Amino acid sequence: MILGVALGESAPAVVAVRDGAASWPVPRGVARTASRACVAADLGGVRPAAVAAIRVGGPCPEALRPVVEPGVATIVRGGHSVTGRPLAPLDTEAVRRFAATCGLADFAVTATGSPMLADHELEVAAIVAAEVPQARITLSYEFGYPGLREREADAIRNAALGPEAGRIADDVARELPGVPAYFARTGGGLVSAHYFRRFPLTCDRGAAASLARGRAALRERADAASGGGGDAGPGLAEVPDGVAAAYGAALGRPEAHVERIVLARGRAELDRVLRDARDEALTRVVSAGAAPGSAAIDEITVNPLSYLPDGLYRVRVTAGGRPWAG
Amino acid sequence: MGRLIDRDGLGRFSAGSRLFATGAAQSSYNLAYDWAASVVGPGVELVAAGELAPDTLCVVVSLVGSTTALGEQLPAGDEPERAVRALERRLGERAGAVAALNLAAENALIPLIAAAGLGLPLVDGDGTGRVFPLVEQTTYTLGGMSAAPLALAGGLGELVLLETAADRVEELLRPVVLSVGGWAVAACYPMAARDLARVLVPGTVSLLMRAGEPGAPRSAAAPYGVRTLCRGRIQAVEGSTGHGGELALPSLPSSIVLRESEGLRRLVRLEAHNEIVLALADGAVVATVPDQICMVSTADGMVVDVDKAEPGLEVDIMVVRAAPVWHTDQGLALGGPRAFGITL
Repeated sequence: MILGVALGESAPAVVAVRDGAASWPVPRGVARTASRACVAADLGGVRPAAVAAIRVGGPCPEALRPVVEPGVATIVRGGHSVTGRPLAPLDTEAVRRFAATCGLADFAVTATGSPMLADHELEVAAIVAAEVPQARITLSYEFGYPGLREREADAIRNAALGPEAGRIADDVARELPGVPAYFARTGGGLVSAHYFRRFPLTCDRGAAASLARGRAALRERADAASGGGGDAGPGLAEVPDGVAAAYGAALGRPEAHVERIVLARGRAELDRVLRDARDEALTRVVSAGAAPGSAAIDEITVNPLSYLPDGLYRVRVTAGGRPWAG
Repeated sequence: MGRLIDRDGLGRFSAGSRLFATGAAQSSYNLAYDWAASVVGPGVELVAAGELAPDTLCVVVSLVGSTTALGEQLPAGDEPERAVRALERRLGERAGAVAALNLAAENALIPLIAAAGLGLPLVDGDGTGRVFPLVEQTTYTLGGMSAAPLALAGGLGELVLLETAADRVEELLRPVVLSVGGWAVAACYPMAARDLARVLVPGTVSLLMRAGEPGAPRSAAAPYGVRTLCRGRIQAVEGSTGHGGELALPSLPSSIVLRESEGLRRLVRLEAHNEIVLALADGAVVATVPDQICMVSTADGMVVDVDKAEPGLEVDIMVVRAAPVWHTDQGLALGGPRAFGITL
């Protein structure tokens, strides 16, 4: 039995799903015997934590500086061009000073060129971790798409959601001891509780995605039942949003994305970097809760980047799998 | 005279500049917009080339290189001004107006930022009426003007002056742009207002400002006409290793294959090389450069960049007719299929 849970402003909606069919209410004792719990949450209303944002790059017009609300931001020298060339050595002393004096524990680090080369973000993370041992650090290269300010805004939001996401995951673990928990992704699919704690941004609008999935599945079941003369179950109109979202979450499976800019001269090198990206996506989907043997690549997109030298590509990989739990 | 592009005008201008803009990365557009909004102040004066004193030195300002690179490696903010000042120093003369190379997204906004920073008017018009990959592919070139001398300002303070024959500018420019990180701001095509008035595609700035008004039809941004080729879903995106020819174009070609959603359900193939250069439906040529072929997402109405095309996306294939000068023999030689290595 899989538990679907939709968190809302009032009490959570909970459904038990067996062989694709949902039933409710679910007594607490029964809920605690579930093979896994799939949780849909919308984090839009979550109070964001104050974030210490570190951008690695050059000076820029005031209007293009990092935006943190609440929190503090700095720009330190360093970063790489999209072609992978170092722009300047990383100003490690500036990183150390900022980390030691900002007084915050939730960090977002965004280096110029990190979708191509993440070295400076990793170096900043090591310095921050040494200065602030309890730091929670989001590195923008994990999101991997080009567009410094957008990636930075996402890294900052991910860092800001961290503490509250941790509390939500703690609540679920306390309420359902021993039941492996998954969380619904914004674009559909699930991630493990462990992954959710690190990358809550991937689940920012998980409830909305689950609701759409749940409504569609209910409609299909109703159509199939009316066609086959079977039991149509509860009518669509009778199923409230929380119950439909909980059902939709329970139907999901682990999914993960990897995006990178890669440099590959010639077919053989491109094959090799694509293999690396594939491996990373498979590792990531296992970390997102897929059973290792079930992890598989769903899709790879490779586009040459316009107006840049031959051999620079934007690579996006989607991997999926069966949940290891249940 | 006396028309101003203020914050409100900037909103309409930038909206209009995106209606058929290809190759415009979202993040570089966003930053160009935020940058422009922070410098436009009480407004930039918009003038027709013919309204300027005939001897006024006009300078064309443009982003060159990759919008992806600009979105990733942000400008310091002084690039447009540094490029124009360098060109002025070379010419020993102050510029009196700024004009655009083309008006696609950030390429519409960078000249506006330059004009605002320099306190100069922006000329109502541009050098293509659409977008071509090369700095030389302009109506300015067709009218006999040279892109050189050209001054290039990079994001790390680099400043490069190019002086060469008109047909070698791109060849020299490209490795320099790559070596400064993939993008730069160029000040080029220095010319007197009387020449600019003769060679530009006139009125395109105000045209896009009208097209960018809420509720205006997309076709308002296409003065010479636009047609929808078909609606289709992208089936595959294929990279290629080149046409095999000696082509002086940046980046690799790719093909986008679509299946028409309705009607004949034709297989449509788009050949792209930075821009889409050719459209085939069931093997027959249905559109080519110099007309502009673009994919518009049916989900959000936005133009889909060639490097963002992915299987599953549903798009309208739209063809914007190029300005008449591009359909002359000389125009076709510079911006037609042969210029992209395709012999039809």
